[in-house]
Amino acid sequence: MKEIGGRFGTSVLTYFLFLKWLLMFNVVSFLINFGFITIPLLVYDHSPNIPEGVSFRGLELLTGAGYFNYSVLYYGSYSNETLVGLVAYDMKLAYFFTISLYMVLCGIALIFSMAKSFKKNYVLADPASNSAWQLLCTWDFSVTNERAVKQRKNNLSVQLKESLSEGAQKEMLTLSEKMKHFGVHLGSWLLSTGLAFGCGAGIYFLCQYEQQSTTDESSWTPLQEAQTLLVPFIVSLMNLVVPLFYALFKKFEVYSSQRKQIYALVVRNVLFKMSILAVLCYYWMHVVAKKFSCWESMVGQALYRLVFFDFLFLLLGSFFGEFLSNLIGRKLLPSLGVPEFDVARNVFELIYAQTLSWIGIYFSPLLPAIQILKCFILFYVKKVSLAQNCQPPQRTGRAAQMQTILIALLFFPSFVGALSIVAYTAWSLTPSEQCGPFRGQNNTFSAVGVWIEDLQQIPGSQWAVWIYHHVIRSEVFYFFLALIVIIIIYIFWQVTQGRKLLIAQLRQQIINEGKDKSFLLDKLQNLQKSNQYVKQKHPNKRTNWRSKDLPKGDQSEAMAQALLAKQMFEEEERSSSGGVPVPADIPTSSALLQAMLARQRAEDGEFEVHRMPDMHLSSSSAVAQAMQARQASLTRDSDQDYSGTGFFGDTSSAVVQAMRARQTAEDSLSYSGSDVMTQVMQARQRAEESLQDSAPAGPSALIQAMLARQQAQNEYDDGY
Amino acid sequence: MPFPEESRLSVVRLRSQGFSGKRWVINKQSLRMNNSMPTRLHGRYHELAPHLVPMDYTNDPDCKLPLALIVNMPELKENPFRNRIVEAFSEDGMGNLSFNEFVDMFSVLSETAPRELKAIYAFKIYDFNVDNFLCKEDLEKTLNKLTKEELTPEEVDLVCEKTIEEADLDGDNKLSFADFENMISRAPDFLSTFHIRI
Repeated sequence: MKEIGGRFGTSVLTYFLFLKWLLMFNVVSFLINFGFITIPLLVYDHSPNIPEGVSFRGLELLTGAGYFNYSVLYYGSYSNETLVGLVAYDMKLAYFFTISLYMVLCGIALIFSMAKSFKKNYVLADPASNSAWQLLCTWDFSVTNERAVKQRKNNLSVQLKESLSEGAQKEMLTLSEKMKHFGVHLGSWLLSTGLAFGCGAGIYFLCQYEQQSTTDESSWTPLQEAQTLLVPFIVSLMNLVVPLFYALFKKFEVYSSQRKQIYALVVRNVLFKMSILAVLCYYWMHVVAKKFSCWESMVGQALYRLVFFDFLFLLLGSFFGEFLSNLIGRKLLPSLGVPEFDVARNVFELIYAQTLSWIGIYFSPLLPAIQILKCFILFYVKKVSLAQNCQPPQRTGRAAQMQTILIALLFFPSFVGALSIVAYTAWSLTPSEQCGPFRGQNNTFSAVGVWIEDLQQIPGSQWAVWIYHHVIRSEVFYFFLALIVIIIIYIFWQVTQGRKLLIAQLRQQIINEGKDKSFLLDKLQNLQKSNQYVKQKHPNKRTNWRSKDLPKGDQSEAMAQALLAKQMFEEEERSSSGGVPVPADIPTSSALLQAMLARQRAEDGEFEVHRMPDMHLSSSSAVAQAMQARQASLTRDSDQDYSGTGFFGDTSSAVVQAMRARQTAEDSLSYSGSDVMTQVMQARQRAEESLQDSAPAGPSALIQAMLARQQAQNEYDDGY
Repeated sequence: MPFPEESRLSVVRLRSQGFSGKRWVINKQSLRMNNSMPTRLHGRYHELAPHLVPMDYTNDPDCKLPLALIVNMPELKENPFRNRIVEAFSEDGMGNLSFNEFVDMFSVLSETAPRELKAIYAFKIYDFNVDNFLCKEDLEKTLNKLTKEELTPEEVDLVCEKTIEEADLDGDNKLSFADFENMISRAPDFLSTFHIRI
């Protein structure tokens, strides 16, 4: 597994993992069937009732008839008696319940894995054409082979070039081009559906023809037996050729995104295969069931033949498709290139095979054994073929989404289809008279009915009878169950709609914050510039801390760094809290910024505090307090005591007052990181004050400010 | 053979350099590493430098292997980001890994590591100048590692600009961790591609 992943990447790896997973399904099925149905029969009745004259010939492997017909491979040879051994083992009930149990288990396993994969891989937008995604998220770290790495690098550069050129070309298509595209799409869809139905009809007529030439006798001539091989042969041939034909459509059909192309391919393939299977099942249910005496075995044989031929054709397809085109690509026509491993096509084949196996469970309980062999051999053949012949896929495929789609495909048409066919058989069709566990009854389900009647005689099991009559057989129960499920689905759907709206709003909020930040930074810088200018023009005004020989950059940088530190801090707080960010954060940051700006202005001697151009005051308390404090301190020059700010020196109280006011404002807004911010402010404060005292010692004070900030941050680091 | 307590028990602490204020705690139990992993990893670590790496870790020896040795491992040898990967997990930023850091590296790159952890380390790996932002130069270096001489300088420039334009949400012309994580959350393949098997 590791080397496959290392050389070909994860999308090819998903194919092999899928194969392993299907293998597990079949193993479980085989064990259950063999254990519960076959073994009791073998134990009880050693000798299979083979009529004379029939012995094992090699042809049986191919046709499934003849000798195999009378073995435990098929439905027909299971008895309907109650085997008396250690316990009274009712074969009818055993058969019925085993198969239903297996189907239920399968269904549950599929639903769970589909939900899990959906949860992990669901994506809202389509980033595939996004160059950011291509650059940062697509590199497959598990590729370890040198050649593969080189190839991937090439692919990536090709894709990037493509997407660059696509971006340049994304102009509006003219009307005629649109019509042309539409015409091409319509044509190809008509062609593919026509092909699907045409093949279905062809199979139907072929079956009719075959039916006319077969009889119900127990001995067939070899020619007749060979004729039975015709249908599976044709079916498998079609299965091989038509998907290749669909893949050709890619050449002349242009889709707007790769995703749509993949979806279209998937839908076409599924339609084709399902139509063939539907025709075959119809034929079996309606025609074969009426004609033959032991029709379930006949259906089982037909399924066996289909499975076998499918296997043969898969091997042949691997040989011709990959080996030969590798030869051709290398030696004869190098322009064609070495073939790629087409994950999608191979997975469809696997799903088809599994569908056959699921349909066949009812008619031939040991069919999973053959499927197990098939999976096993296929795994090794494909691995060898991959290593020898193929090159990694060109497009870095979106493996995770493909996986979700494939599991959903496995569940929905494949499993549900098989289940419905088996259910239809069990419910409506009359079992054959002479063979099988359900001989002589009206339908299969009546076995359970008979059992329930027997149970009624046994005292103490009235509850089972009650459940049977009122829950399983009553329609009202199912009606209410369906209603409840629909209501729950509707509620969940509304919840997701609400969440989508919320996501969009939050995204918008992030963008707005970024714009806020850059706007305020710009404002700050402008302010610095204008102050500098003002200082230069009026040197006799009270110049406190802005000395001329300090470059403007340092001061604005200190401020800007303080701002940035705070902003980064906020962002991290928000991202770490993980929940919905409290909108109050925004006014907090802007209020603090404005408080700082206000203070700065005040120190430059501008007393008009009411002039606050362009500043939106959202949380006015902080700013108001700061302003008031500043004004009060400026009018009366008193030395206040410094509460809690221990390391202030004996400097002007104006700024101290403002600081204190701001600190209380911050505390009142309960901002948890306020101590860091105050430290920053205080550090800057110290810088300013020392500048006030000694103008030329500017740079060291600023350095101190920055060091204090760093210290504050480190303290926070270590104290976490 | 006796192992340091940390790698056998539950808590390994990582100091994420540069992410100011956050210390990420990797709980090995939460990574669901099976019990044979530390033994196997120690075997691999030991064979990189048999004469340097002790077999007995009870005294918690201080042994670090240099970048050049680790980068020659077959799992990393062909990876274009091998140097950055090792540097991102080393305490000193120079690529010298102790055994704990070695184990951390492979456990974050394993299948079972949670998405957030992988996103953090992917960000660190792509952040060449270790400034907590993916600026244009970081992206250019990433692109060059991935495509070497295939793209012309103008194309490189275009791609990087497009990337920033598409992923940058708050408009500062570089990608912060939040932007990166947002992009990762829309790419479900990331969990399976950011994965090295050992």
